[in-house]
Amino acid sequence: MTDLPHEHHISSAVVSVMPQFSEAVAGWLETFPDTEIHHIVPGKIVIVMEGPSAGVIGERLTQIALGDHVLSANMVYEIIDTEAEDEEGEE
Amino acid sequence: MTLTRRDILKMQAASVAAAAVGIASKATAQPVPGGADALQIKWSKAPCRFCGTGCGVMVGVKKGKVVATHGDVKAEVNRGLNCVKGYFLSKIMYGNDRLTRPLLRKRNGVYAKDGAFEPVSWDEAFAVMAEKCKAALAKKGPESVGMFGSGQWTIWEGYAASKFMRAGLRSNNLDPNARHCMASAAAAFMRTFGIDEPMGCYDDFEHADAFVLWGSNMAEMHPILWTRLTDRRLSHPHVRVAVLSTFTHRSSDLADLPIIFKPGTDLAILNYIAHYIISTGRVNRDFVDRHTTFMTGATDIGYGLRPEDPREKSATGAAKAGAMTPSDFESYKKFVSDYTVEKVAKLSGVEESQLKALAELYADPKKKVMSLWTMGFNQHVRGVWANHLVYNIHLLTGKIAEPGNSPFSLTGQPSACGTAREVGTFAHRLPADTVVTNPAHRKQAEEIWKLPPGLLPGKPGYHAVLQDRMLRDGKLNFYWIQVNNNLQAAPNSANETYPGYRNPENFIVVSDAYPTVTAMAADLILPTAMWVEKEGAYGNAERRTHFWHQLVDAPGEARSDLWQIMEFAKRFKTDEVWPKKILDADPAYKGKTLFDVLFRNGTVDRYPAAHLDQAYENHEAKDFGFYVQKGLFEEYAAFGRGHGHDLAPFDTYHDVRGLRWPVVNGRETRWRFREGHDPYVKKGEGIRFYGRKDGRAVILGVPYEPPAESPDKEYDLWLVTGRVLEHWHSGSMTMRVPELYRAFPGARCFMHADDARERGINQGAEIRIVSRRGSIRTRVETRGRNRMPYGVVFVPWFDASQLINKVTLDATDPISKQTDFKKCAVKIERV
Repeated sequence: MTDLPHEHHISSAVVSVMPQFSEAVAGWLETFPDTEIHHIVPGKIVIVMEGPSAGVIGERLTQIALGDHVLSANMVYEIIDTEAEDEEGEE
Repeated sequence: MTLTRRDILKMQAASVAAAAVGIASKATAQPVPGGADALQIKWSKAPCRFCGTGCGVMVGVKKGKVVATHGDVKAEVNRGLNCVKGYFLSKIMYGNDRLTRPLLRKRNGVYAKDGAFEPVSWDEAFAVMAEKCKAALAKKGPESVGMFGSGQWTIWEGYAASKFMRAGLRSNNLDPNARHCMASAAAAFMRTFGIDEPMGCYDDFEHADAFVLWGSNMAEMHPILWTRLTDRRLSHPHVRVAVLSTFTHRSSDLADLPIIFKPGTDLAILNYIAHYIISTGRVNRDFVDRHTTFMTGATDIGYGLRPEDPREKSATGAAKAGAMTPSDFESYKKFVSDYTVEKVAKLSGVEESQLKALAELYADPKKKVMSLWTMGFNQHVRGVWANHLVYNIHLLTGKIAEPGNSPFSLTGQPSACGTAREVGTFAHRLPADTVVTNPAHRKQAEEIWKLPPGLLPGKPGYHAVLQDRMLRDGKLNFYWIQVNNNLQAAPNSANETYPGYRNPENFIVVSDAYPTVTAMAADLILPTAMWVEKEGAYGNAERRTHFWHQLVDAPGEARSDLWQIMEFAKRFKTDEVWPKKILDADPAYKGKTLFDVLFRNGTVDRYPAAHLDQAYENHEAKDFGFYVQKGLFEEYAAFGRGHGHDLAPFDTYHDVRGLRWPVVNGRETRWRFREGHDPYVKKGEGIRFYGRKDGRAVILGVPYEPPAESPDKEYDLWLVTGRVLEHWHSGSMTMRVPELYRAFPGARCFMHADDARERGINQGAEIRIVSRRGSIRTRVETRGRNRMPYGVVFVPWFDASQLINKVTLDATDPISKQTDFKKCAVKIERV
């Protein structure tokens, strides 16, 4: 698969929710591993997820997309941090 | 507090996401330690590989591999967002079982139908393939050869296939699997407006006051457009959403008006709405008088089954299913008056109050309405009618071709519009809405293609379902399948598809990236380059044409479909495949290869490889010595320029995030048929449906007619098939993403708890779904995202280990020839 050795994925996503359930959904999102909430406004929650591969994060966001009161969960930005690998390569 | 490198990266990711949805973020652009360049990823634009929405993505390449993708903030379609499938784009090319060499069935060193797959060279693969193709042509003529592609072909791949089949082999037996997807939509566009594809665009989402989903589950199938819809609904409290379906699904959650109707009765509901509009005096008479014309359609038109089926024999209107005769408003008014709320409520199972509320959304002159549909309408034995009937209500009210008033047909494949429809890879079509049956259209194609007059065949070829039947019957003997998984997708596959592939008279070639069930049933498998392993172009559902560069190399010996078609064309001499009479009349064509006459014709090869953007590879240009994609595109664009299908110059598309045709004087068109938006509507005309000579759109009177098969005492449940969020279509790409596979490893049968209880079946229990055609084993799901009404079950079709299409019925709309995958009768047995 594509996952490079030593890679670390950092990915942001926007979760659209029924506005009256924003806080409840946020509470549920906090139960996911390696998932941080960065912004909450009524109807939108910006999260940042981390993991060893795009697949792991994608599977997590799929679960989120199918949660109660969630209208959609879309990815926005993904960074693959391979600093450790690059440093090794330079040595 | 000291911020680590990871903290800063996370803050950056969050601030980009916040900006994408307009949330003010305090995060500042802090430098990443080591600099952004330390990430060493080259980012380039491309459209997403999956559905017909056409989202723009940024593709990150590192060390020759795609390592990441994310939403393109410059793309108008998705504005920086990507649905969950965006994560999997970077994975789809790197499955462990990726095909990298041609594989031929052999025994004792030579091709054998009952042999085992062995790796062979491209040269040997093409040699055997050409021999089989020529043998079929010699024995039975051009009608014995065929090709099946899809709306996943790039524009130039579909175009090259069309040239190769129609002009090269002189066969119109070319069809895309888009036939299973939106042939009904395309037929209704042509019959109503005289020109294909939606008049509106995605900008309508931000202008509508009401959205009506006809059978579409956008929340799972078109998540980005669903997000635009939900944003509009939640930020404008007056906006209303109606969701019509045969079961409750994720999109129902947001619905102000969730409506569950009995399968097939949408036709009656649509006619009731027309009746309601007329009877409450809300017809926009000025619009109707000036811009529409009334017609009546043929009735009792059959179900597209084999001619010997009793249902076809008894169908009095089947021979002229597409006939339309002139009518008038008063006749139409009388016709729809039969669809009273009481009658339709009883037929559809929908409460009268709900029907009235739905009709009022359309009737209220102050409400702008966007109607949306995909497979619910299109995969319907009366799919063309269903499309017509929704246009009827938009036309009666004049709610069309302006911001927010928009009947909008969504598509399921990335280039269903761009390739299957615009290029014309259907068995009856040529580019830019021209057709093989029209001598003037054939003449135009022969001139643009620089071919001898009279070369192109005028008889429509076999459509998708008919191809399967002709393979089984031994009339279609050489068959090449590209970019699709038809053995999994086709209806009644165990009886009508598989036997044709294994018929000893036939030679089946499958070009694919992975060993799908279709590939494994073939005689020759050709390994195919996919998505950004080649330069490409797609056209999305809102008429947007968009391009990408080759960003990585394909693995091993995998080659693009375009390369395969062009290279295979070198194996044929005109003298072997064209009539002597035509060659004698134009001796200059004698002794040439099909590659010479189709692709080295002075047009396709006029752009040297030096025109390439040097920052990107282009395998085809390197191999053939000229900028193949540019030459094909510019030749193709000649069909549409000046004819309502204008495309911009080739190079423009590599700079922009797509443009919606017609593109005239550098400007795209968001709303067609409307003065001020559409350059083809002259000043003072206001509105003109210029696809038709009289400039008027058709309002068609057609009735409710029942499905081909309904539940009875023995087969007592409706079966509906479809998709799920995680897996795209047959799963040949998404099932190879390990995390996704784990998330939804196997299809299940969604069922009402009472239906399960009555049969003594527990949640999760193994069952057999049985129809008159065949059966599969699966497990019962009485909970979960799809909540079924009593008497209806739903099974997704992504799972190759549970081929639900062994169970479905090969009934089609008789006009569009599109299969109805939404309505057949089954019974459920405990295992």
